[in-house]
Amino acid sequence: MFKKLWHIFGPVLVAALGLMVLLLSPLRFGRPSAKTLSTAATSMSANVIKGEAIKDAAFDANYIPVIGSSELSRMDPLHPSVMATKYNWQNKPFLIGAPGTQSLTHFLSLQASGNHLNGKKAVVIVSPQWFVPKGVKANMFDFFYSPLQTSYFLLHAKNTAATRYTATRILQLTSDTTSGVVRDALKNKALGLPLTQPQKVYIANVKRPALQHQDQLFSQLFIHGREKFVQKGIQKLPAQADDVQLNTVATTLGQQATGDNPFGIKDDFYKKRVLPHEAQLKGVQRNFNYESSPEFADFQLMLTYFAEHKMDVQFVIPPVNARWASYTGLSQGMLNRFDQKVRYQLQSQGFNHITDMTEDGNQPYFMQDTIHLGWRGWLKVDQALKPFMATKKAGKVKYDINNDFLSRAWQNVGGDQVEDFD
Amino acid sequence: MPNLQPYANPTYFLILGAALIPLIIGFLNGKRWHFYETLVSLIFLILIFDGDKIEQGYALIGYVLFEGALIWGYTVYRQKKNSTLLFNLAVVLAIMPLVIVKFVPFLNPGSNSIIGFLGISYLTFKAVGMIMETRDGSIKKFEPWLFLQFMLFFPTISSGPIDRYRRFKKDYLKIPDRDHYIEMLGKAVHNLMLGFVYKFILGYFFGTLLLPRLAHLAMASRGGFLDLSWGVVGYMYVYSLYLFFDFAGYSLFAIGTSYIMGVETPINFNKPFASPNIKEFWNRWHMTLSFWFRDYIYMRLVFFLMKHKVTKNRVLIANLGYLTLFLLMGFWHGLTWYYIAYGLFHAIWIILTDVWLRFKKKHKDQIISNRWTNYLAIFATFNTVCFSFLIFSGFLDKLWFH
Repeated sequence: MFKKLWHIFGPVLVAALGLMVLLLSPLRFGRPSAKTLSTAATSMSANVIKGEAIKDAAFDANYIPVIGSSELSRMDPLHPSVMATKYNWQNKPFLIGAPGTQSLTHFLSLQASGNHLNGKKAVVIVSPQWFVPKGVKANMFDFFYSPLQTSYFLLHAKNTAATRYTATRILQLTSDTTSGVVRDALKNKALGLPLTQPQKVYIANVKRPALQHQDQLFSQLFIHGREKFVQKGIQKLPAQADDVQLNTVATTLGQQATGDNPFGIKDDFYKKRVLPHEAQLKGVQRNFNYESSPEFADFQLMLTYFAEHKMDVQFVIPPVNARWASYTGLSQGMLNRFDQKVRYQLQSQGFNHITDMTEDGNQPYFMQDTIHLGWRGWLKVDQALKPFMATKKAGKVKYDINNDFLSRAWQNVGGDQVEDFD
Repeated sequence: MPNLQPYANPTYFLILGAALIPLIIGFLNGKRWHFYETLVSLIFLILIFDGDKIEQGYALIGYVLFEGALIWGYTVYRQKKNSTLLFNLAVVLAIMPLVIVKFVPFLNPGSNSIIGFLGISYLTFKAVGMIMETRDGSIKKFEPWLFLQFMLFFPTISSGPIDRYRRFKKDYLKIPDRDHYIEMLGKAVHNLMLGFVYKFILGYFFGTLLLPRLAHLAMASRGGFLDLSWGVVGYMYVYSLYLFFDFAGYSLFAIGTSYIMGVETPINFNKPFASPNIKEFWNRWHMTLSFWFRDYIYMRLVFFLMKHKVTKNRVLIANLGYLTLFLLMGFWHGLTWYYIAYGLFHAIWIILTDVWLRFKKKHKDQIISNRWTNYLAIFATFNTVCFSFLIFSGFLDKLWFH
């Protein structure tokens, strides 16, 4: 009988044992190679965003996180990743973001880097489009939601206003993804309670090691870098990084790509995405509002992280294509008030490296399409990033973090009333 | 207590494995511990229906009490009399909760009936089956304890396979001999492992990784004739494969778990995509459901029409049977145009298949039939089935109307 039973259950037991070793052992698998890092740096892949191993290794090497969203994928020759390759920047951009990533996703990804970013630098491209009245969409947040990063958060976050706010937000946005012990632990964090002993033991010894090993083993597979664009791009750039020459190249490339469509945007984008519905699009953005949004509080979480880890951060605020804005009725006044509000949030807390391009929406060949930076827009970003990224170490920084920026009152305050906000 | 949906994650399988070990030891020693079995069932039912699913749990209790009382009452009545009217009434009452659950979201989009719970349609099949067999006289008395064990048998509660009362009872009361049980264990492990491959690898690949991309592609390339594009074609095949691997995987888990518990729950899928025609397909796809419809709807309707001499045309009778069967199946899936269109599509297809099969039989000598025509038939059937699943998926609804 036992022989027969062994024939049935033996293979299962052996496999289970193997799996346990693979997932729960204290071993560490597969340190990412330099090649993996350089691929991952331009991949913008969800696996990379949701993981830890690759980013941690990249930040220990000579990569500086460039945090953003869809604009990062607009890889024309003036894109910082191409520029950094062509002109051998000491530190290379590590792109973190994809269409749909916003502040909360970025904060969770940052905090899971723990001390790997201590005293280092980062770049954040702040899209006005993140700051819609309802904030990040639950399905988008869910798509980039990382149980691994949440496990780090649960084990490390101290009981602060930011922590309680974060836990509440995760619970609001991922009713399906998190469940059981993790969900209960998040509820504790949201209430300001410590994790219970069983929660801690389970998350620290079962959940997190299993997720870490999966991350180490699998997140390096299936990532596709944008090396092709980089290689194509560097051939178009002048030998010397001379601003006048670069501006000429950017202008010429912009001219070639935009043709004569009414918005001065990339022609294939215009033909595919705008032209078929052009008539319906007139005036549709009349009531768009980026001034009051939970995103302002989510954004504050990132600032809290930067301050805690004494990081030096370069912020970029891109414009909206002005011709597009006036056609769709998007209010430049509203954009200016958004800009005022976000700058107040940054500057009043000591974040002073801001490349503010809000007023540049009418510059020719600045935007590749309606809301995404292109040629001359990227060039302006490059001009700020080149000196900033020359060193990886942050200089002396002094921040004065104010938790009122997490409040509902701040989320709703108008951009022209920020001075009265207290 | 945590909430665990059946066969959804590793935790579920770990708890399941641990809970079943004592049962295995018992069976190997020739013992069947009904008490412990019941305890395990109870714990798993609580795990499925606790926490934020507690309302469903109450609905389940209410439902089982209602169906139990109904079947009990009908059995007592049937021992004395046998009126068709009362039988019809009993069946109508038995399906009433399901009908309500299906109608509420139809009348009031976005809301769900409070009497609904995960698995209500499968329990309704079991209950209606019992009433019909009581009418036939195959079930003679109502055994409350066995009724509960049958209805609430946790491995199959949420999505089948749909067992039959008398078959279940036989297994439940018997102790398999050791050699046979060891064989059952072997099958159980095989089913569970194959289930992992189906549901968590292939189902995941098709359903979670590929399907959203194709949906996105199809939605992005709308605008052509009927909004069709390669994205829609891809969606059709990927959805069909996802549906199969997900559901077949689920059935394999349910069957594997049943076997360990000494119950030989019938299989649900038998290489359906290798069917050379649609009739054969329904003998291989979601078999316990199609056999249920065949035995309790189709056969009975055919018998009724013949007995009452509604028509003597056998072909017409069979066709009416198919039409009823598949329309009912469509309605059972839900009150939306695409489920009903799916039912109608299959009814028409199977009627046409019958026409062809009769023609083929008559002209045996003129029609080539060899290995290659068989492959061709399999290929054509597979593609048509996939098309019907595209209707079934509801994606066309999204594509055209949203």
